[in-house]
Amino acid sequence: MKFKKLLLATTASLMLLSTAASADITRIGIATEPYPPFSVPDAAGNYNGWEIEIANAVCAAAKLECEIVASAWDGIIPSLKAEKIDVIAASLSVTAARLKVIDFSNKYYQTGAALIGAANSSIAPTAAGVGGKTIGIQSASIHQAYAAKHFPDASIREYQSQDEANQDLFAGRIDATLADVLTLDAFLASEEGQACCKLLGIAKNDVEILGEGIGFGLRKGNDELKAKLNAAIDQIRSDGTYAKISAKYFDFNIYGD
Amino acid sequence: MLNYRDMSVADLLALAPPGWGGVLLDGLWLSLQVAGAGYIIGLLIGGSGALLKISGGPLTRDLLTCYTTLVRSIPELVLILLIYFAGPVALNQLLSALGLPKIEISPLVAGITVIALVQGAYITEVVRGAIEAIPVGHIEAARSLGMRPFTIFRRITLPELLPTALPGLSNLWLIATKDTALLAVVGFSELTLVARQAAATTKHHLLFLCAAGLLYLIVSVISNWLFRRLENRVNRGQSHV
Repeated sequence: MKFKKLLLATTASLMLLSTAASADITRIGIATEPYPPFSVPDAAGNYNGWEIEIANAVCAAAKLECEIVASAWDGIIPSLKAEKIDVIAASLSVTAARLKVIDFSNKYYQTGAALIGAANSSIAPTAAGVGGKTIGIQSASIHQAYAAKHFPDASIREYQSQDEANQDLFAGRIDATLADVLTLDAFLASEEGQACCKLLGIAKNDVEILGEGIGFGLRKGNDELKAKLNAAIDQIRSDGTYAKISAKYFDFNIYGD
Repeated sequence: MLNYRDMSVADLLALAPPGWGGVLLDGLWLSLQVAGAGYIIGLLIGGSGALLKISGGPLTRDLLTCYTTLVRSIPELVLILLIYFAGPVALNQLLSALGLPKIEISPLVAGITVIALVQGAYITEVVRGAIEAIPVGHIEAARSLGMRPFTIFRRITLPELLPTALPGLSNLWLIATKDTALLAVVGFSELTLVARQAAATTKHHLLFLCAAGLLYLIVSVISNWLFRRLENRVNRGQSHV
């Protein structure tokens, strides 16, 4: 039948168009959506940023031949499961829900909880350091939970948004504010932030509240690749490559502790 | 990092990097490739589907009704996700069960497949309607003159169905060009995705989304003009009512 032949021919030509999966190249999946300064596309079609450099450094250390593949953030875990990519390097936080469907390498960065305060302040992000001080915190955030547990002697003032806390810090109504280091770094870089405040330090991590950080996503059962990536993360951490790349982008410790 | 904030509109839309104009045009070209290939395969599916629906046996007819009903009732977005994510997994399981090597479906192939399947279903119905509008007497007259089926198709069916089918077909083409935007969900760098990337990277959202809208508009206007010429040609010799 003519129609059947046509259908066969169409299917055959579609199959020819699709290339066979190559086993030697490790495909590193990143999100197409810009996430500065971690991953930023340019008009030439390349992706740059801290995370891209780290992924390339990890590949070099693990002696893997890698290829960066951009896929939509929404579909990045399905892409991993459908074997369109082998590793996710898209600032994916390790969470219990995600661990049910995919596996993670050790963390390669963690945006810790930072404490910022007035430029002449000497408060340290510890229980003793903030004792008796007024700390502004966004209500219902993980940072509120952190402060409730680790800063028992501080007086906590709650805000609906971090912006309001920043404004009150600028106005001198609070001594310091605790929030994600990336959020606060953006405020410190602003005109107001530069005028008033500075980074006082990163609070000690608490995995139960702040999470385990950000790791490379992997398919479950891909233990060989996982071991290679973990070894490579350790290697670039110890040989200074990690610090060298990070210094170009951040003025704080992006790895956390 | 580049300072996009202080760049002029002309610099932002420049064809060479750091301008994003070239990226937008590449995206448009990919969109048109997917839409074009999908539409042509859709025409083949739709044409054959319509003929079989009219002249095929009961089984063929039922199968085709299943196809057109299913595809026309599932949103294209769902079909794209199914074909791109679930399709390869199922296909590769089947292939490895048969001992064949795995294949990989690229976003381009997935996109063309989806557009072709969807367009095929709609075109089947458009063409079927157009064929059924042809007076039976014309076909009977051709048959009584001893014409073979293919000659009847070429001389009677095709010229008589085109005037009725073309407006519907031109609509479907316009829909196909815009359906490509849905491929952004699988990370296929067609026009909408690159426009959104450019917007998010440079923070000039309005500029790039308007630029993409303008490109889609230009495609539509040119397509309309071409289809109108085509319609004038297939309508020649007919009295206008």
